[in-house]
Amino acid sequence: MLATILSATLFGLDGRVIRVEVDVAPGLPGMTIVGLADAAMREARERVRGAIRNSGFVYPPRRISVNLAPADLPKGGASVDLALAIGILLGSEQFQPRLERTALIGELSMGGEVRPVPGTLPMVLALARRGVRRVLVASAAAPEAALLPGIDVEPVDTLGGAVDALRRRRRAAARRPPRVELGEAGSEGAVARRPTVVAIDVALPTPDLAEVRGQLAARRALEIALAGGHGLLLYGPPGTGKTLLARTVPGLLPELDERASLAATVVASVAASTPLCALVRQPPFRAPHHTSSYAAMVGGGPRLSPGEVTRADHGVLFLDELAEFSRDVLEALREPLEEGRVEIARVGRAAVFPARFQLVAAMNPCPCGMAGANDGRCVCRHSVPERYLARISGPLRDRIDLWVPMTRVSAAEFLAPREPESSAVVARRIGDARRRQTTRPPGRLNARVGGRAMRTAARLEPRAAARLAELADSEGLSGRGTDRLLRVARTIADLAVAETVEEAFLDEAATFRAPAAKPLDALTAAGHAG
Amino acid sequence: MTGPATLNAGAEMSERDALAVLVAVEGVGPIALARMLGRLGSARQILEVAQRGAAAIPALIAASAPEAGDGRSMPGAVAAALVSAADAAPAILADIRDSGLTVIALGEPGYPPRLAAIATPPHVLFVHGNAAALLGTRSLAIVGTRRPTIGGRMTASRIAAALSRAGATIVSGLAVGIDGAAHAAVVAEGGSTVAVIAGGHRHLFPSGHRALADAIVAGGGAVVSEHPPGSQPNRGTFPRRNRIISGLADAVIVVEAGARSGALTTAAWALEQGRGCYLVPGAIDAPMSAGCLAFLRECAGEARIVAGVPQLLEDLGIAVPEPRRQPSARPSTTPPPSAHPEPPSADALLNGLPPATRRTADAVLAGFATADELVAVTDLPIAAVLSALTVLEIRGLVAGTYGRYHPAGSLMRAGPAKVPDRLR
Repeated sequence: MLATILSATLFGLDGRVIRVEVDVAPGLPGMTIVGLADAAMREARERVRGAIRNSGFVYPPRRISVNLAPADLPKGGASVDLALAIGILLGSEQFQPRLERTALIGELSMGGEVRPVPGTLPMVLALARRGVRRVLVASAAAPEAALLPGIDVEPVDTLGGAVDALRRRRRAAARRPPRVELGEAGSEGAVARRPTVVAIDVALPTPDLAEVRGQLAARRALEIALAGGHGLLLYGPPGTGKTLLARTVPGLLPELDERASLAATVVASVAASTPLCALVRQPPFRAPHHTSSYAAMVGGGPRLSPGEVTRADHGVLFLDELAEFSRDVLEALREPLEEGRVEIARVGRAAVFPARFQLVAAMNPCPCGMAGANDGRCVCRHSVPERYLARISGPLRDRIDLWVPMTRVSAAEFLAPREPESSAVVARRIGDARRRQTTRPPGRLNARVGGRAMRTAARLEPRAAARLAELADSEGLSGRGTDRLLRVARTIADLAVAETVEEAFLDEAATFRAPAAKPLDALTAAGHAG
Repeated sequence: MTGPATLNAGAEMSERDALAVLVAVEGVGPIALARMLGRLGSARQILEVAQRGAAAIPALIAASAPEAGDGRSMPGAVAAALVSAADAAPAILADIRDSGLTVIALGEPGYPPRLAAIATPPHVLFVHGNAAALLGTRSLAIVGTRRPTIGGRMTASRIAAALSRAGATIVSGLAVGIDGAAHAAVVAEGGSTVAVIAGGHRHLFPSGHRALADAIVAGGGAVVSEHPPGSQPNRGTFPRRNRIISGLADAVIVVEAGARSGALTTAAWALEQGRGCYLVPGAIDAPMSAGCLAFLRECAGEARIVAGVPQLLEDLGIAVPEPRRQPSARPSTTPPPSAHPEPPSADALLNGLPPATRRTADAVLAGFATADELVAVTDLPIAAVLSALTVLEIRGLVAGTYGRYHPAGSLMRAGPAKVPDRLR
């Protein structure tokens, strides 16, 4: 007899609905699976047989043919195990189910337990779009599946439990997990019910800005960068607090809005090793190690997993020791930086992952790390430090709006009685400045406003316009460099709650321009000649 | 055996050309050459001997033998090279002529007398630019580390500018760091400066200083080498070159030197040649002052301390140009020793700036370098300090590298300003 069950699999970040067609027919005992299943899915044969036998059912000694439709879509993972087992039980007429508009997602163990799979949320999302009203998932994945409104989630622990659930005429409404509604980000209900377990990864604790002593210029630059979504590079000798400062970022960013939150949750669902139990509201902060491979950064692999650029979508990608990343990896950032997405092509198919991250990077000023310490401790040969910074190539250079040198904080500054501002205070200013940008045309953060749009949106004061021309001339800025300067100045104006861009804002923005790639002595000579 | 035509070519050659051919031979140093000249009479005669071919090698080695057993004779390979150079003499000379360099031989009227007075003067100088710059009435060398601190760079610029304004020619080695800062300051002052390089003119080192070398020549100064244009600099030529830097100067001033800095060999040469030797001291734990302090300790009594720019001028016996404040008080009794007018004071340069900018500039002049320090000392918000720094940078008064700001251009050469009380 033929049984047809709905399930889903993952393609990149998208869930894809799969029809599992199981035909149990007389013939030589055995099971064949067709429909472009990958190795993990073909191995379902063994898992399913074990699960059926060990759950007190009969594995039919007949010829079992399984087709996974649509047939031309490559399928991977173990998400159809449960559907397959149920299909065999139906095909061998071991129970009578109610299957209208119902789908099953889950991996099976040999003992018959149902296990959660990564990407439950996007799979449920795809099923909901296809009109499915009821979905059976592993208990552990139920809270994640329940993040979507309009679909009933039934948690099951075992294959036997799934059979029971499908036999019941009425759904067991009692065992619904606590769920979080997709509501207004700031609405009371959402806040009250926001569970504390939001962590996607075991991340380092986020330090508070109050822990960062001195470094006023760098703190200011960080505030500007986060307020306008600008790329930021911190460079300075080891021990100046570059990494500490960058690690305060998660505590400074406002919560994601509804759409961004769902998108970030989908990415987290696919990428996370454990199921989620709440929407991701904190913008992601990813800090891949500098030995990360190309695939880890961009995404890919046999299962088209999202890479770091995608996991940082709507958040911040922090590249510590920027110069130590391999050239290939940095080159690969070109497409995501320019287009906010990354396309991974495979033979006959391509996945497009979102990658609208903000870049924050840190590096030493030279190979030995001591350039600029001003005490002769830098042992690099002449002009090596300048070239070290110049190694940051075109696309990356174009996306770094703020270049911030950091110097050692003196002991006096470290022990000064002045208490630095806390993250909460700075975060409020950042949130306000961001709101100001998104509520005026074109409704985007300054860093993402095009050059022409920015020239009208910036609203330069007449004197500021003259200063912009002067700065562009004296620093030999390219058109792009001038646009960058203008964007940063606009963000400074937004932080200052100013309608127009004043001269002083441009001046401040200009202190964060890229250092000249010329050797120091040439600069000194030029300064003298002038 | 070579033919009589070649012999004639050698005979027709001027003594200066013959010397140029000889110094072009790798391995023939000034000491060996001096011995050969002493034994064989002239460079032309050395070449004539060398033109006899392989048979002349023993004679050449014997001619280069030391008098009293110290040192060694010329190795056979060098003698052989000398023999082949004698054959290639026309080509070597054509190459030098093509380079457009002025060639001055020891003993000629254009040869700087100061340099001729040292123990082993170069026999030939190859000069790019104004050869008369080597003959200045007062000539002072400023040398130092290739990795100076910002303070060291400023000190070098200020000393160079002050001495240049007083009419002195500044000699240095065109290296990065202190040397470059000294040359650049003189160029900016419109003064005369001489760079002594360690290789041939076609192998200028560091190549990044090509523009500076051109500016030196354009400003009426000179770039000098004892090596023919095609000669590569190497490990050995740098310390050898240092004896020329001190030899061309009345005194050597070392601004910053690490414990093993080559600048210290220049200072040692100065003492050996009976020239003045001045070192800028520094804090006892500053790595870039360690060499100066060690030298001062070692040569106490001979080496002297630079206690300040006016003090240095006084110690060197240079009349300090009259301040311009009362020009009418003593009309033209003492004409300024140089053509350059007194530069504007720091105060004059900073007048008319907006208050916050002025306050920031004062703090930078007082030696506060990082944004943190400037905020602490000016009591301005960080945004105001950053804006002010850009204004000062555009005007060329301040320069920043790696987050440290320091006076630049005319403000750097103007020297320290009166530090406002609130910044003390």
